[in-house]
This record gives sequence, C-alpha cells and structure tokens, in this order.
Amino acid sequence: MIQLAKRVIRQTFNDKRSVMLILVAPLLILTLVYFLLGDSDYVATVGIDRGAVPAPVISELEQQELNLIDLTAEQAEQADDYLQQHKDVDAVLRFPENAGMAVTLYEPSKKGATAMGEIQNAMAAINPTAKTDVSYVYGTADQSTFDSLGYVFLALFSFFFVFIISAMALVRERSRGTLERLMMTPIRRGEVIAGYTAGYGVFAIAQAILIVLYAIFVLQLSNAGNIGWVLLTMVLLAVTAVSFGATISIFAGSELQVVQLIPFTIIPQVFFSGLIPLDLIPYHLGNLSYLMPIYYGAAAIKGVMVYGDGFAEIWGHLAGLTGYALVLYLINTQALKKFRKL
Amino acid sequence: MDIQLDHVKKSFGTAPVIQDLSFTIAGGEICCLLGPSGSGKTTLLRLMIGALPADSGTIRFGDTEMPDMAILKRLGFMPQNDALYEDLSAYGNLKFFGGLYSLPKQALDARITEVLAMVDLTNHSKKLVKNFSGGMKKRLSLAIAILHKPDILFLDEPTAGIDPVLRRKIWEQFQSFKAQGTTIIVSTHVMDEVVECDKGALLYNGQLIEYDTVPRLLDKTGSGRIEDLFFAASESEARP
Repeated sequence: MIQLAKRVIRQTFNDKRSVMLILVAPLLILTLVYFLLGDSDYVATVGIDRGAVPAPVISELEQQELNLIDLTAEQAEQADDYLQQHKDVDAVLRFPENAGMAVTLYEPSKKGATAMGEIQNAMAAINPTAKTDVSYVYGTADQSTFDSLGYVFLALFSFFFVFIISAMALVRERSRGTLERLMMTPIRRGEVIAGYTAGYGVFAIAQAILIVLYAIFVLQLSNAGNIGWVLLTMVLLAVTAVSFGATISIFAGSELQVVQLIPFTIIPQVFFSGLIPLDLIPYHLGNLSYLMPIYYGAAAIKGVMVYGDGFAEIWGHLAGLTGYALVLYLINTQALKKFRKL
Repeated sequence: MDIQLDHVKKSFGTAPVIQDLSFTIAGGEICCLLGPSGSGKTTLLRLMIGALPADSGTIRFGDTEMPDMAILKRLGFMPQNDALYEDLSAYGNLKFFGGLYSLPKQALDARITEVLAMVDLTNHSKKLVKNFSGGMKKRLSLAIAILHKPDILFLDEPTAGIDPVLRRKIWEQFQSFKAQGTTIIVSTHVMDEVVECDKGALLYNGQLIEYDTVPRLLDKTGSGRIEDLFFAASESEARP
C-alpha cells in the first residue's frame, strides 16, 4: 500500500498539470469568486422630477449614498422609455397622485436592489416608525455574498479537483493495462484503493491547508469556528473524492468519458452543496442532498465557519462522509475482482 | 512445476474464444503459443495467470488450482501492450513493481541495475517513460516481468517491435532463464522464434490444432514452415 501511495505521489509530481490543478487552480478560482461575490461600493443612480417630489424626501435622498439625476415631468412620467434610453440610471422615483410612491427599475438586478435599498433608507429616515432594526443570530448585515457562501467553495474545491485527477489516473491505469499488471503481483485488492487514497490524501492535506489559509488570511473569509475542523472535513471530502473517482472510473472507458460524466457526477452536487437553500426546493427534493458527498462536507464546514460549531455539532456530517467513503471503498474493492478473483 | 489445463472454456458474450482446451506444459520448458491474430493466444495467457476467470475447466500449477496468491508471487507477466507508468522514469517503474514483491531495498536496487543492463536501458534509467521509443518501452516491460526472478514467465509477444540484434540478445536471456529452471510460456507471431522453443502449441479459432515438440511439428509440415499447418487447418475448415 505504501508502495502504491509513494508511486501516486511521485507520478503526480512528474505531471506538472496535475500539481497545478490540485494546488493552484483552487486559489485562482477562489480569488475570482471573491471578486465576483465580494462587496462592491457601487453607488446607484436614481432619477427624480424635483418639482413633483416633496422637499423632505429630496433632502433625505441626498443624505443617502445615491446619485440623483433631475428629470423633467415628462421624462418621469415615461419612466420605462427613459430607463431604456439611459442605461446608466438604475431607477426612477415618482410620487403619482393618490398613490404613495412609485419606483420603476430597469430589470431585477443587484444594481436595482442597491437603489431600492437606499430609497427605503431615505423613507425610513422621514418616518421613524417605519424604521426596522434588523439583527442576525449569526453573521452581520454588511456581510458580502462571498462571506456567506464562501464555505461552499471550500467544500467544492476539495472534492472536485481530487476527483478529476484520481478518476483520470484510475481510468488510465485500466486502459493502459497497468492495473492488470498490478493485479498480477501479490498486492491485495483493498491495498490498491487504499494506496491511491493515501497517495492523493497527501495532496489533499496540502491543498486543504493552502485553500483554508488563503481564504481566511488573504481573502478575509469570515470564520467563526476552529480551522482544524474545517481542514479535517476538507481532507475527508478529498478522501471520499478519491473513492468516488475510482467508482466512476469503472464506468468510464477513457479520460474523455470521465469529463463526459461530470454532468451526472459533479454538477448535481454543486446545486445541492448549499449554494441554493435546500429547504426551498419543492417536492422535498432537497432530501436528495443526503445522496451527495459534497452536502455532508459543505454542511460541516458551514457549521464550523458560520455557526462556530465544534465536533459535537458536526460529527453527524463527518460520519455521513466517512460512511460514504467506506461504502465506495467496498464497491471499488469488489470491482477489482474483474481483474483477479482473489 | 507443470501447468495443466483441463477442459478450459472461455467466451466473451456469445462468442467462444477458447473452446475446451486441455494440455500440459512441462516445468522448465519453453512453450510457445502460435496462432494468427484473434486465435485466442492472449486470452489463453490471461486465463493461465488468472487475470481472466475461465467459464469452466481448471488450471493447475503443480497441485495448486489457480488463481492463488502464493503462485502469483512466482509468476512474471509481460502483457502485449506496454502497461507502464508514463509519468515515472524507467527506474521509478521498476522500483514500484519491485516494491510490490517486498524485496529488501538494497537487493532491489542491485536487481534493478542488473535487469536494466539485461535489456540495454542502463543509460535511460532516469528518463520518463513517456519519452521512450516503442522498442524501449517493450524492453522496460520485459525488465519488469523478470525483476523478481519468477519461476514461471508469461510473455505476450515480447519481441514485437524489437530489432533483430536485440531480439537475439533477449532470446539468449530466455535460454539462460530456462537453464536456471524457469518455465517460459511465450506467445508470438514470429515464426523464426519457434525454433528457440521446446514445444509449440498451435491455436486456431480457440482450438488447439497441434501441440508437440518443435522438431516434430516441423516434420509434420513437410516444408519446414510452421505456417503451413495453419493453412491446412483453414482448408479443412473450409471443407465442411
């Protein structure tokens, strides 16, 4: 087993692309995600017809972080046309007769939501009874999307990259005939998968440490709990990914087919990893998440990073992940009987 | 240790590949499996080493029925395709396979030097296999098969793609293994190599059409060309 693990490590080091995929790609994508989901200091632009808006509202709007643009009465009346012609304006605010306030937005978007938020702030300032004090048990109001969803990416990366590399390595091992040759030596079937897991496990540990340190100390991802549990979960996820990859490699005849199977293997897991709130999915389809290894990992990482959980709270998820890995390990060991009955 | 095959059958799907084969390979001999492509040579080799389970029939090495872990340690197998790790050096491949036989480190290193010299790859030991030529891969594959000094050596077309000079050297090696008591089962396309063997097993459509000592086989042809025995077989098949 040690021999096999050593070989996997040496082989991976000799293939620079694999090393890059395990160690550099996650950091690159995480940085991209940081910029895509991070805070933006976008200042929305709102058009108003100053003549038709009560003076206190205007003065409160001016207090907010907004760019105000003066419109003519006619422009304000034809808000749809105006917004279509002026893409740099996010919203038009009007006070039509005998109806409170009317806001027209170009399309449902984050820019529109920013404009809406600032307008509501102004309204709340005019009428203090409408002011709402929002507080959160976990997290804060000014958290960016990156802060609240970043943990999902830690789980995704520890699973995905190791899965791809190990599945391809095992497919290659089958198609090149090295697996048959390996099975003609006195190695035990269980040792083959265990050796692979140990070999990639070393890379998984390095990868987990690198990603977590980078996310928390460079990208300032908020973390409420103990990093140790996050690392443990990520390594467990990667170990499961090796077994998962080995199982998928049974159904793939070539490296290309591993890629072709990604829509069946990885993409559903991305959706059930916590990116989309599972309790909102109809027909109890959210329960499908219990079939997906990434769910267990993501849930445990969320527990630690968002709720500050320790082992007492996340052990169930870790046990689910370990159980998953064990079942796959047994399937893989059985599948090797094709090459040698012993 | 004799290898006995007793009513061995194997089919892939509905197509029979090996049809009711029974014969015995005597220990210490070189036996070659001859036959046109598709005749079942590779399948027969893989059945013998236990890489494929037979549909029916038994394969025994001495008194032990295959597959068996203890026997497996004494087998050497060189597959038809190269079956090497391209991302490892020649030394890395040998080191890995040698490690699986749990040879002590120093003995293994000495043995690796020895087999690399045998197959003329000493100067390329640090090179990654993906940069090897076809012939070099073949030689490395052979080196792996003989690394742990197996008692029984299974070679699937070992000299295909190897130049005549090296081929002669390799056959000299095989003869010296035989002198040390190794049983060698070799499949080949090259009819010249038959004269190096003790026995020849002629396979045609999964059936054993001839199994005899090489001199007697050559007598049967009349022409001294083994191919003629296959022509005879295909003609008798054409006549129902």
